[in-house]
Amino acid sequence: MIWIAIRMLTGDAQKFYGLVFGIAFSTLLITQQLTIFVNLLERGASGVYNVSSADVWVMDPVSRTTDVSYALPSTALDKVRGVPGVEWAVPHIRAQASVRTKSGDLEGVAVIGVDDATLIGLPKNMIEGSPDVLSQPDSVIIDDVGMTRMFPGQSPIGERLELNDQRAVIRGIADATPSFTSTVVLYTKYSQALNYVPGTRNRLSFVLVGAEDPSQAKALSEKIERETGLKAQTRDEFARDGVDFIIENTGIPLNFGITVALGFIVGVAIVGLTFSLFIRDNIKQFGALKAIGVTNGKIRKMVAAQAALVGFVGYGLGVLGTLAFIWSFSANPTFKGFYIPWQIPIISLVAVTLILALTGWLALRNVLKTEPAAVFR
Amino acid sequence: MSQAPAICTRGVTRDFTAGQQTITVLHGIDLDIRAGELTYLVGESGSGKTTMISIMCGILWPTEGEVKVFGTDIYELSDTELVEFRLNNIGFIFQQYNLIPAIDAASNAAVPLIAQGMDRHEARERAVEMMAKLNIADQADKLPNQLSGGQQQRVAIARALVHEPRLVVCDEPTAALDASSGRRVMDLLREVAVAEDRACIIVTHDNRVFDLADRILVLEDGKIIHDGTEMPEEH
Amino acid sequence: MAFNLRNLSFSRQVLPAIAGLALLLAIFFIVGGLPDRELSEPENEPPRAPEQLADAPRVAGSGVVEPSSEVVQIGSALSGLVTGLFVQPGDRVSEGQTLFTVDDRVARSALREAEAAIGEARAAIAEAETARATASRQLALYRNVDDPAAVSRSEVIRAEGEATAASQRLALAQARLQAAQARAASARTEIGRLTVRAPIAGEILAVNIRKGEYVSTMGGGGSQPFIEMGQTQPLYVRIDIDEEQAPRLDMGAAATVSPRGASDQQVKATFVRAEPLVVPKRSLTNSAAERVDVRVLQVLYELPEAASTSETLFRVGQQVDAYIPAKGGE
Repeated sequence: MIWIAIRMLTGDAQKFYGLVFGIAFSTLLITQQLTIFVNLLERGASGVYNVSSADVWVMDPVSRTTDVSYALPSTALDKVRGVPGVEWAVPHIRAQASVRTKSGDLEGVAVIGVDDATLIGLPKNMIEGSPDVLSQPDSVIIDDVGMTRMFPGQSPIGERLELNDQRAVIRGIADATPSFTSTVVLYTKYSQALNYVPGTRNRLSFVLVGAEDPSQAKALSEKIERETGLKAQTRDEFARDGVDFIIENTGIPLNFGITVALGFIVGVAIVGLTFSLFIRDNIKQFGALKAIGVTNGKIRKMVAAQAALVGFVGYGLGVLGTLAFIWSFSANPTFKGFYIPWQIPIISLVAVTLILALTGWLALRNVLKTEPAAVFR
Repeated sequence: MSQAPAICTRGVTRDFTAGQQTITVLHGIDLDIRAGELTYLVGESGSGKTTMISIMCGILWPTEGEVKVFGTDIYELSDTELVEFRLNNIGFIFQQYNLIPAIDAASNAAVPLIAQGMDRHEARERAVEMMAKLNIADQADKLPNQLSGGQQQRVAIARALVHEPRLVVCDEPTAALDASSGRRVMDLLREVAVAEDRACIIVTHDNRVFDLADRILVLEDGKIIHDGTEMPEEH
Repeated sequence: MAFNLRNLSFSRQVLPAIAGLALLLAIFFIVGGLPDRELSEPENEPPRAPEQLADAPRVAGSGVVEPSSEVVQIGSALSGLVTGLFVQPGDRVSEGQTLFTVDDRVARSALREAEAAIGEARAAIAEAETARATASRQLALYRNVDDPAAVSRSEVIRAEGEATAASQRLALAQARLQAAQARAASARTEIGRLTVRAPIAGEILAVNIRKGEYVSTMGGGGSQPFIEMGQTQPLYVRIDIDEEQAPRLDMGAAATVSPRGASDQQVKATFVRAEPLVVPKRSLTNSAAERVDVRVLQVLYELPEAASTSETLFRVGQQVDAYIPAKGGE
C-alpha cells in the first residue's frame, strides 16, 4: 500500500513538486538563516577563540568583551600569577588605533599586543610567515581580513604602515576568524603595542591564564576573582559574553528570528495548502480504498509515507541549497569560517517534521472522516 | 434453492438526521439474496437503493435490524474485523470506477490483493490474469486516463474480482456507457461474477439491461415493492 | 522488475537519491567544517610557578637584575678631553685601578712653572746666603777692631745694616721656595684628579666615553654616566611586589627566579633585604609615559653564582619573573 501511496503522490507531479518546493524552501530558509545567525553571533566570540591557549581571561570587573574592556594596572599580572592553580599568566593588550596606509588612507585597526617572550595570544595558524617574525624590530602580523581589506590583490608582506607616528612593517599573515565588525587586526608584541597605541596610564587589557588543570578552569576563575578582585572568565564563558553582547546590543536576533519564523510559516502555508489539495483530489480514491477494505491505520501509514517522502526529498534539497550557499560564499572573507553547527539541521528537521505532521494531520482528518459509503453517492 | 441465502437482512431500518428532521430511508427490509444469481436492485433516485446496498456490503451501519453475509452477522464485527471482512469477501464496482490515476491498469486491478498484503509483483501477475479473462490484458501497462470508459470499467471489474470475493456489488455499472457497451459489460459480469457460491448485486435504473437480470428487486420509498424475474409493467 | 532507464522515475528515484546524497554531503560538511577550537599548549614556555609552589599560596613579581653594589656611575671631577681609556666593558678591575685619564697638559705646565719657581727660589736663597755671609764677616771684622778710630761709626752701622738686609733676603727667598713648592704640589694634585680610578673592585658594565671626547663635570652627552660599573659577584635581583600583595609576602624565604623568555630555567635566589621605602612602580616597558598609580615594595634577592661564564643566565638589567612563597603556606 505504501507503494501505491508513493505512486499517488508522485503521480501528481505538480503538487509533488509544490510540496517538495515548500519543504525545501522552508528548510533552506530556516537552515541558512540560522546558520548565518549563529555564525554572526559567534563573530562576537572570535576574539576569544582566536587565542587558542588561554583557559581563563582575567580583566577589569567592568570589562565585557574582548573589544569592550577597561585597562588594568600592570601589577595585575603579578597578582594573577600569585594565585595557586595558575600555571602561567601573560599580559594581553587589545586597543583601537588608526593606521595610515602607504596611499595615505586612514583605516581603523585593532592592535593586539601579545606576550613578548612566549607570543601567547597569537592565532594558532599562520597563512604566511611564522610568529617568530615578531622578534624583528617594528614587526606586526596582519590578519587575513586586513590582507584583503587593505591590500587587495597584493601581498602585504614587507609593507610599511604608520601607527601613532611609528613605523610598523608587516612580516606575517595570521589565519584568524574575523571579528563581528571585520576590523583589520594587527598583532605585535606587548611592548611594541604600547608604542603603537597612544598611551593612557593603564594599558594592560587582559591577563591570559593557563590553568594547572584545564578541566578545572571554572573553579580557577572563581578563585582568581576571589583573590584578586578582578573579573575572571573561562574561555567559554568569555566567548559567551561576546555573543551575549551582540544579542543585547543589536537587532540581529529579532531579525533572524522573524526570518526563521517566516520560513516556518511559509512552509506551513505552502505545504499545508498543497497537501490539503492533494488529499482532496484523491479523496475519492481514498474512499474507494476504504470501501474495498483498507483500514484507517493503513491509510494513516500511506499519508505518513507520502509526508515522509516529501519531507526527505524537500529537506535534502533544502540542506543542499544551504550547503551550496555556505560553500559558494566561503571564499568571501566576510563569511570566512562560517560553518553549520550540527544542531541547526536538526532544528530544521524538527521544523520540517512539525510542518508535515501538522499539515498531514489536517489533511488526514478529511480522509478519516470520509464515510466509505460516500463512494456510492 | 437448498443453500442458505448469501445475504440475509432482517428488519433493516435506516434513519438519516438532517438538522432536526429525521428521515427514515429504509423501513424494516427483510431480504434474501441467493448465490448464483444476478440480482438487480432497481429504484428511483431517493428510493433508498444506495443506502440498502451500502448496508448490505458493510459500509453503512443500519439503524436497526441485522445483516448476515454468508452467515456472518457483519454488524456484530468490530470495525477492524468488518474492514477485513470486506477486503476478503466483497468486490466493489463503483459508478465512477474510482481508479487510482497514478498507477497502471494492472496495478489498479491488483489493489485488493496488495491491500491483503500480497507481494506487489505477484499481485500484479494475478491481476493481469484476471484482465486476460476480461480481454484487456493488452492494456495492463496503461494508465487509467489512457483508457476508454469501457476499458476503465473492465479494469474496475477486474479489481472487484481479482481476490475472488463471494459477493460482488456494482453501482450503476452501465450508467456511463452506451447501450451496446453496457450490454457487453453486463454479459461479462454474468460470465465472471456469477457462480455457484457467489452472489452479485447490481444497482441500476438502466432499463436497457433489465432483461439480463435473474432477479429484479424494486425499491420505492424504503420498501421492496416488487420481487421477480421481470420488471413490473408500470416501470 | 529489471532496472532500466525507462523505469527510472525522476521524482521517485532520482530526487530521493539526490536528497540522500545531499544529506551525506551535509554530514560530511558539518563534521568537516566544525571550527577548530581545541585548546593548545603554548609553543614557547611561559613563566610558570615552581612545582613546590604550584598549589601553595604565593606572590609573583617581576624585577630587574642588578649588581650587589648597585650600579656605580663613574663621573669626572674635572672637565677636559679624554686622553687615555684603560678599560672596556666586561673587564674586572680592582679598587684604585685607573679607568681613564683626562687631558692634563694645563696642569702639567703649571707644575713645570712651579718647579722653575722652586729653582729660582733656591738660587735666590743661595745668593742671599752668600750675601749674608759676606755681610756678617765684614761686620765681625769691624767689631774685632779695638781702635775706635780705625773704623768710623758710620762704617759699622752700614755693615750692620747689610748683614740684616742679607738675612731678610734669605727669609724672603725661603718663603718664595715654599710658595713655589706649594704651587707644584697643587699642580700634582690636579694631575692626580685628571686620572679617574675605580672606587670599588668590580666589573665594568658600560663605557660611554671614547678617547678624545670631551668630558664635563656637568655630565656627558645625553646625561649618560661615563662608565658604569658594579660588583657582579654576586648579582642581586630587585623584585617589585605590588603593595597590596606585600603583606602576604613570606619575608626571608627564597625566591624562584627565571629570566624573561627562558622561563624553564628557574633558579633559587636567597633573600637579602627589603627596601624600607615603598616606591612608585617603574614601568619597564621602555615607554616614555611613567605610570605612578601603583606603588611597589622592592625586595632584593641574591642570585646564585653561575657555574661558568658561558652559562651565565642573568645579566645586569635583565627582566625576570619571580615567585615567592606567601605567608600561611605549608
